[in-house]
Amino acid sequence: MARPKVAFFDFSCCEGCQLQIANFGEPLLDILKLIEVVEFREVMSEKYAGTLDVAIIEGSINTTHAIERIKGIRDRSKVLIAMGSCATIGGVNGIKNAFPLNDIAEYVYGGDSEYFESIQTMSVHQVVKVDYFVHGCPIYPPEFVAVLKAVLMAVPYDVPDYPVCVECKLNGNVCMYDRGVTCLGPVTRAGCNAWCIGNGNICYGCRGMVSNPNEKGSIDVIRRYGLSMEHIINKLEMYNKCRELNPHG
Amino acid sequence: MAYAVLQKGRFDDFIVALAAQRKVMAPVSKGYGHFEFEEVRSATEIALRYIPTILPPKKYFMPQRETILQYTSDSIEAVVDFDPMAIFGVHTCDLAGIQCLNMVFSERPKDYNYLVRKNNIIIIGLECGDYCDQYASCAMMNSEMPNGGYDLFVTEFDEYLLFHVSTQTGEDIVKSTGLFETADASHKSRLAEYRKKKKSIFKKELPIDSKDIALLFDKCFESKVWDELNDRCLACGNCNNVCPTCYCFDVIDEPALDLTSGVRYRRWDSCQLETFARVAGGANFRENRGARQRHRYYRKFSYPVKKFFRYFCTGCGRCSRACMANIRLKDVLMDLIKAHPLDNA
Repeated sequence: MARPKVAFFDFSCCEGCQLQIANFGEPLLDILKLIEVVEFREVMSEKYAGTLDVAIIEGSINTTHAIERIKGIRDRSKVLIAMGSCATIGGVNGIKNAFPLNDIAEYVYGGDSEYFESIQTMSVHQVVKVDYFVHGCPIYPPEFVAVLKAVLMAVPYDVPDYPVCVECKLNGNVCMYDRGVTCLGPVTRAGCNAWCIGNGNICYGCRGMVSNPNEKGSIDVIRRYGLSMEHIINKLEMYNKCRELNPHG
Repeated sequence: MAYAVLQKGRFDDFIVALAAQRKVMAPVSKGYGHFEFEEVRSATEIALRYIPTILPPKKYFMPQRETILQYTSDSIEAVVDFDPMAIFGVHTCDLAGIQCLNMVFSERPKDYNYLVRKNNIIIIGLECGDYCDQYASCAMMNSEMPNGGYDLFVTEFDEYLLFHVSTQTGEDIVKSTGLFETADASHKSRLAEYRKKKKSIFKKELPIDSKDIALLFDKCFESKVWDELNDRCLACGNCNNVCPTCYCFDVIDEPALDLTSGVRYRRWDSCQLETFARVAGGANFRENRGARQRHRYYRKFSYPVKKFFRYFCTGCGRCSRACMANIRLKDVLMDLIKAHPLDNA
């Protein structure tokens, strides 16, 4: 049986998630036994214009040109995977949406801003149908493999809809709040095995929020720990600003 | 041989000798007032005075993730992985927790993964002379005193550790290490004194008789107390994951990259999570966080009483310590007691 044709495409992003895959090491050899990579700008020069079995999209959508391009890719792809925070939730590019578009264009392009079109940042699923999500900034390699296996077996992949605290606690970590540090683990969906906290950092919320966060309860917790609401909102908006465009995303 | 004495100067020799026989797990300080059971090789790593660890010793009996089957395209094989070990320093609340799990996993069909692991774990208990903190309710749950469930049980005195030898395995350890002295009447009377003092320290923490808690739960299913918890609970599952008696697990098949072989594993699940009671089609039997908290409390104070004739709360206080939303077990029980007075009270 022919290996499914897979292509990687990048939109607005740092391409770090593609690097994660290029950096896989030995497991990449096993993965390449299963798929035929026909386009992957980060590691190869070839392009592919035909029908794709799987398109893997990195980056968020923030120009009309990008909207047209992603629609074109969707039209010729049987399965589409959004990979990395920029693609799955808008990611850091979404911070742009916190400001008037003209101000942002002015800030970046100065006097030439009139020559550059600027639209609000959107995640991929806010523009076209996404079949699978690999969240994270960057993606957590074991989860990418799990999603790829699900795609190849044509079964759903359920992104955990519970907070990072679950995986963090199972790893026996001391809670960041007990160390006097603010962490977004309690409202951020799991699936990364509490990667950052396990390495001594806090959770920045890069995987997006759980589907049903307890907003009232969270406000109580923020008060109880003597944190300012503005501080928490700033932290949340680093990755989650695009959530406002589509609260069901 | 019922009791044996280990001079404190020989404690390190004892741990080193034990670690030469098998892995030794013991409470270790993690900073910020937290402790965790981890592998140790010497006594200097062990925190003899500790409050209940982040995760209970349950993790050695039913690991957070455990492979139970492996398969290829034409074979399926059950897997029972275990590591012989000794757990040193298990408090009485956690001994009670292990006793609860033993009942659950010994029910038919027996859970061989749990039971094989249990049979390869030596348990050395450690007595608490005082409360660990304000969250404990071990006196109310009758778990502040040793009540079996160990091979050896240690009570600490200024200059020595007194070991109660409860099983043949425990006796073998005492003999094989050659570090112990026989206890005499003076040691035993000091223990009696210690226990007497303990009785004056540990007092029923709430104004309810232990036996009446189940009666309270017979009448508080519709309580407003649960509605209040709905507003506060973040559904993070911390209370489940740190509980010494929660035993729910999920079973997942994980194919290897060849997509034809793979493993089936189980991992801890948690009734507080949004997805726990969500079923195909998207319906959720316990969508309300308050209903999920109620379920957790009933799984501690009501349902197991009907099934196993004992409470599945050991009073260790972990759920209260781990809750960011400040949901404290003693406060919830107190609210229930106030809102639903028992007729005979």
